[in-house]
Amino acid sequence: MIENIKEIKKDELLAEVKKFADAKARFVTAVCNDLGDKLEVTYFFNMSPGMEMHGLRMTVGKDEEVPSTTGIFLTTVLIENEMKEMFGLKVKDIAIDFGGHMLLAQDSPVTPMLKTGAAGGKGGE
Amino acid sequence: MAPRTVAPFGPQHPVLPEPIQLKITYEDEKVVDVVPAIGYGHRGIEKACELNEYPKNIYLCERICGICSCIHGISYCEVVERLWPIDVPPRAKYLRTIWSEMSRTHSHLLWLGLLADAFGFESMFMQFWRIREKVLDLLEMTTGQRVTQSISVVGGVRRDIDDEQKKKCIEVLREVRKESEALINVLANDYTVKARTVGKGVLTKEQAIALGCAGPHLRASGVKEDCRMQGLQAYGDLGFEPIVEKDGDCYARTLVRCRELLQAIDLQLEAFSKMPEGEIAVRPKGNPPANEAVYRAEQPRGEVFYYAKGNGTRNLERLRVRTPTYANIPSLLVMLPGCELPDVPVIVLSIDPCISCTER
Repeated sequence: MIENIKEIKKDELLAEVKKFADAKARFVTAVCNDLGDKLEVTYFFNMSPGMEMHGLRMTVGKDEEVPSTTGIFLTTVLIENEMKEMFGLKVKDIAIDFGGHMLLAQDSPVTPMLKTGAAGGKGGE
Repeated sequence: MAPRTVAPFGPQHPVLPEPIQLKITYEDEKVVDVVPAIGYGHRGIEKACELNEYPKNIYLCERICGICSCIHGISYCEVVERLWPIDVPPRAKYLRTIWSEMSRTHSHLLWLGLLADAFGFESMFMQFWRIREKVLDLLEMTTGQRVTQSISVVGGVRRDIDDEQKKKCIEVLREVRKESEALINVLANDYTVKARTVGKGVLTKEQAIALGCAGPHLRASGVKEDCRMQGLQAYGDLGFEPIVEKDGDCYARTLVRCRELLQAIDLQLEAFSKMPEGEIAVRPKGNPPANEAVYRAEQPRGEVFYYAKGNGTRNLERLRVRTPTYANIPSLLVMLPGCELPDVPVIVLSIDPCISCTER
C-alpha cells in the first residue's frame, strides 16, 4: 500500500501535474503497469523541502492517447519515452521524442514490458 | 552568425566510464544546443526481475550498477520487505547502514579521482584511487567481495561483522579520513581546479527542483533533500544532517561530495559505536503478498527509487527502478547550452553520470 496516491482521470492529468509544479514539488518518476486491457500510470512527486512523496494515478486504455507532461516538467522526457517504447503508452507531444528507440534498438522486441510481450510469461513457463 | 557545427560527445570519451552520447551543436566555441542519446547499455533488468523468483532478483538488481551495487541490493530487499511487511532486526539495519556508507565512501573517492583525471591532475587521481583501495579491502574483508557484495537478503543481511573486523574497520576508516582530508584541502584550494569549476555549469535552486535533480547535484544548488533524512535503517539514530552548498556550480558539487565523503566515514564510525547485538536476519514467511510498495534510498549519486508490486506468487508482478543519473541527465539540457566547449567534459562529469544504472 502506497500512501498519498490520488486517482485521477486522463483529462485531469495536466492540471493536476501543474498543481505540483506550482507547489515547487520535485518530479521523482512515473511507473507504468500492464493491467491486461489497460495501462496504469502513476506519477510520483517529492514535496520540497523535505521527503514527503505524493502521487497521481490514472488508468487508460492501451489505444488511448495521453498528453505529455514535458511542457510542465521537462525532466519527464525520459520516462515518457520509456513508457512509450516499453509499454506502448501513446504519449502525445513529448518535448524530445526518441521515436520508440531511446533504450531499444531498431531490431529489439516491441513493447517488451507488456505481459504479452516478447519476453512475457513467468519464470520457467 | 558563425556557422553551427554538430559534434558527438561520446559514446566513447575519456571522461565517460560508460557510454552516453551528447549531440552537441556549437557556434565558434560556445555550445548552443544538446540532445542526449542513450540506449547503449540497456539490459532489460526490470523485465528479468518479473521472470525470476523474488530472492534471485537481489543478484540482478546488484548488477544494475557496479559502483552502487551494494545499495541496489539493499534497496531491493527493503522494497520487497515492505510488501509483507517484514521487520528487519536492528543489528541488520546498522550493518546495512555501515555497508551503504562504505559504498558511498569508495564511490566518492572514485569520482574525485575521475574529476582530477578530467583536469589532467594525474597524481591526485592516483592518490584518491590509492585511498579507495583501502575501502574496497574493507568491503572484501567484511562481505567477502570487493564489488558486487550480495550481502543483503530479504529479511536482513547474510553476514555479521565480528569484533576483530570491527576494530580493523575503525582503524582503516580513521586512516582513510585523515588521508582524504589532506587531499581534499589541496583539491578545494587549487587554482587550476577552481578555474575549471567555479561558475561552470550553474544550476539554480529553482532549476534543480524543476528539473527533478537528485543527490549531491541537487544539494549543491541549495536544496536540503536527502533520502537519509527519512531516518530509515540506522540513520534515525545517527543524527544525520544533509550537506548543502549554495552556488550550484561544478565547484559546489565537488565540495558537497568532498564533505559527504568525510561525513560517510563519520557515520560508519558512529554506527560501529552504537550497533546493538542480536540477530542479523529473519526468514520471510510465504510469498510476497499482492501489494505494492515504494522505497527510496540515497545512493552516492542521489536518490534511487524502487517500486515493487507483488501478486502472491514467488514472482513479482512489477519492479521499477529509477536511478539518480536518470533524474540528473535532463539538467544537462540546461547546464550545457551557453558554456564553452572545453567545459563540457567537466560539467558532464559533475553530475557523476552512471549510464549502466540509468539504462538498467
